[in-house]
Amino acid sequence: MPAPRKRSRSLRRIHVRTPGGRTTIHYKHRKPKAAKCGKCGAVLKGIVRERPYQMRKMAKSKKRPTRPYGGVLCSRCMRSLFIEKARV
Amino acid sequence: MIEIGRLCIKVCGRDAGGTCAIVDILDNNYVLIDGNVRRKKCNILHLEPTSKKIDIKKGASHETVKKAFEKLKLPVWETKPKEKRERPRKIRGKKKIAEEAEKKPEKEKKIKKKEKKAEIKKLPKTEEGLEKSKTFQKEEKPAAKEKEEKEIKPSEK
Repeated sequence: MPAPRKRSRSLRRIHVRTPGGRTTIHYKHRKPKAAKCGKCGAVLKGIVRERPYQMRKMAKSKKRPTRPYGGVLCSRCMRSLFIEKARV
Repeated sequence: MIEIGRLCIKVCGRDAGGTCAIVDILDNNYVLIDGNVRRKKCNILHLEPTSKKIDIKKGASHETVKKAFEKLKLPVWETKPKEKRERPRKIRGKKKIAEEAEKKPEKEKKIKKKEKKAEIKKLPKTEEGLEKSKTFQKEEKPAAKEKEEKEIKPSEK
């Protein structure tokens, strides 16, 4: 019987094959939900889903696209925003 | 709408939102742009033309575009040329040994100074020793005073 905290499903289970041939279960925290566009709600591309510790280790350019509103709006919404600005 | 001198707003990519002027028309689809963006080839679909236009010739340099932009009080993208650095090179073999040999004597000199101080302090309280210690103190003191003065002066200003 695993420890009580490991019986809850808030931790995800990863089956790992050990060098000895057994399969063991590793318990890991679930990843956060994917980031979404602030305007249309589409899932943003080029944004990593990692826990804070992993995010802290990564370079800024690896975490979001390097363009204005990168990581906030999807590319379509950003384009439409700038096109609107140009036409006014 | 797409013609040389037309002011556009870049809509896609890293420079999105920046105003730029068309400097050259390369192709049915591509133009050369400059201004508040990096000077580069750009797809027409990535530009949104505005009603404004500036007077520049085909293939105008960055400086002429800059002057035209400054007249309109628009910001201009400035790129700094990278500082040239010497390539870090691994030294090995005979050269490394030779360099280390050059470096070593400097360290020895520093140790010698410290040793001298220690020796003078350790000297027995004979007449000779006292004289030596006095001369050493006389040499040290003025230097210390100068340092203090230097520290005080900038604060007064």
